[in-house]
Amino acid sequence: MSLPLLPTTAVGSYPKPEYLLEARRKFLRKQISKEELTALERRATAEWVKIQEDLDLDLLVDGEQYRGDMVAYFADEMDGFAIAGLVRSYGNRYYPKPVVTGPVGRRHPVTVEWFKYAQSLTLRPVKGMLTGPYTIAEWSFNEYYPTRRALVLELARAIHDEVGDLERAGARYIQIDEPAIHTRPAEDFELAVEAMAIVTSGIKAYTVSHICYGDVPKVYPAMLRLAVNQLDLALKNEEFALLETFRQQPFTKDIGLGVVDAHSHRVESIEEIADGIRKTLKVIPVQQVYVSPDCGLKTRAVDETVGKLKNMVLATKLVRSELASARGRPAGVAG
Amino acid sequence: MISTVIGNYPKIPDMPNPGKWRSGVEKLQKGQITEAEFHQIEDEVTLEAIRDQLDAGVDLLTDGQIRWEDGQTYFARRLRGFSINGLQRYFDTNIYFREPVAEAEVAWETPIAVRDFEFARQNSPRPVKAVVTGPFTLAWLGRTTHYRSPRDFALALARALNHELRALQGAGATVIQVDEPALCVPSVDYPLFADAMRALTEGVTAQKVLATYFGDVGGVYPQILELPFDVIGLDFVAGYRNWDVIRRAPFSKGLMCGILDARNTRLETVDEMLTAIRRISAVVPPDRLMVAPSAGLEFLPRGVARRKLQRLVEGTRAAAAALKGAPA
Repeated sequence: MSLPLLPTTAVGSYPKPEYLLEARRKFLRKQISKEELTALERRATAEWVKIQEDLDLDLLVDGEQYRGDMVAYFADEMDGFAIAGLVRSYGNRYYPKPVVTGPVGRRHPVTVEWFKYAQSLTLRPVKGMLTGPYTIAEWSFNEYYPTRRALVLELARAIHDEVGDLERAGARYIQIDEPAIHTRPAEDFELAVEAMAIVTSGIKAYTVSHICYGDVPKVYPAMLRLAVNQLDLALKNEEFALLETFRQQPFTKDIGLGVVDAHSHRVESIEEIADGIRKTLKVIPVQQVYVSPDCGLKTRAVDETVGKLKNMVLATKLVRSELASARGRPAGVAG
Repeated sequence: MISTVIGNYPKIPDMPNPGKWRSGVEKLQKGQITEAEFHQIEDEVTLEAIRDQLDAGVDLLTDGQIRWEDGQTYFARRLRGFSINGLQRYFDTNIYFREPVAEAEVAWETPIAVRDFEFARQNSPRPVKAVVTGPFTLAWLGRTTHYRSPRDFALALARALNHELRALQGAGATVIQVDEPALCVPSVDYPLFADAMRALTEGVTAQKVLATYFGDVGGVYPQILELPFDVIGLDFVAGYRNWDVIRRAPFSKGLMCGILDARNTRLETVDEMLTAIRRISAVVPPDRLMVAPSAGLEFLPRGVARRKLQRLVEGTRAAAAALKGAPA
């Protein structure tokens, strides 16, 4: 199944249904087994795959129902990490921050089983979904490696092995999230580029990197050197102000265009979203554009998430039909 | 030589203890508790933060800034002229804040941190300092659609916050700290910074501390010694270049030296602290030193933050004893 023009997709996470939140609480209190929890995570994953199909998204995600946090999940499943405790991210959002206490590495494939399961539920392509080495390092405390560089490159080799395993398991689209990549641009951006080159080295699958909430202009156009096919960015958060940056230096990769705010309760209207896409198409050629929310939607309520995705798909279809009718216009009529 | 903290402190206890502040925010959002009930929770958590500092033996406390959603919106929401925009990354951290946008003339209407300061002072037998986010950093991390230039914006904020400093002084604050981490960004507009600090501190006679963190002050040293502050706070962890910077000119003020890493869980040893303080006291005499973490402790889980406080005090006391009678 090939993707249509302006493929619609999502960044990764969806909210967990109440029964899963309850099960996670019970699991922490040791009132249910790991198997019981996993069964509910599979159920929630299947529900999200079905919702995405019903909404007619083109490139699906598994919704990350099995993850608490995008870094802690990998830390839990890999060697060399412990969890230091909860640290605040913003408002009353907290995340369990890992601490590197020894040599880091994979014990076993981390996400492959979840990818295979989600893909088995649908004929539409599902993205393999990983957290990148720079972000894992940056969002962990480090009590072991003498330098950040040593830690990042070691993690890059581990994530590369995971990308390879996903590809062998049939993933044609693999996303490596690097939301921390612009944390210290002057000091570290080359390191992040070097790490991503290791991660995707020899990989034939279509690769994406999601980057959000930070000073993107500061790492542009340098970010175009990241060894991935697509950069997925949060445009809506700043009302498409980034387009100014892309107007000055052409965006040479594909873009995952964030068109709905992942951290507001408001469901954007179809017209509002379509407007964002139209604005973008004046700056970036349509063949390079994928349509997506700004970020993972796990902090939204389920109805907000469905509302945002639904309007996103409808807005994309509206723009597609506008493009089709524009192309269908008789020659000689000014556009 | 005394021990102090930079400001914020973890709002929730370590797992699996319930975080009453966190569930309080949720209940408030869902309308299950009133504002007044939520403020009660904030007071209780503030008492926990004060208790941890007292138990550790910290000499000069803060209230832990439990009521601050972040350093920017806490002030911007209470000043006139601001609206609050989307999430932004806070410097090079993994903390996010909502961007304040000045859409009209900025003005101080009502005391912002005064009640918090009074509450902390009433509940601490040891001295408490008041902390205010500085106008330069507020302007740096904010945005304006009203002012024509960054200069106009920062100076308007400085004049507005001058009222806050005066109100804190009027409420009995004898030490007032102004946080200006944006002074550490490269190619800072120092003439503007200096003008803003003059407007901010006009008529304020309390002991004034300028706190910088997340970097070094190499680009503005020794000029910052001319600023109207009694104590300058420097981060010797993220701003490791400060070790060399302070040797460039005689350090004529008090120094709040941030030598304990507030952003990593690794616990420094007393020996490491002793070595660091000895090195600094070769430039600044011990009686002009305040020893501190490199930044606010809210980057750490509470259990680690508590151990850092204990180590801060152990290290400071060991250094004070070792340096007593040592030639200045």
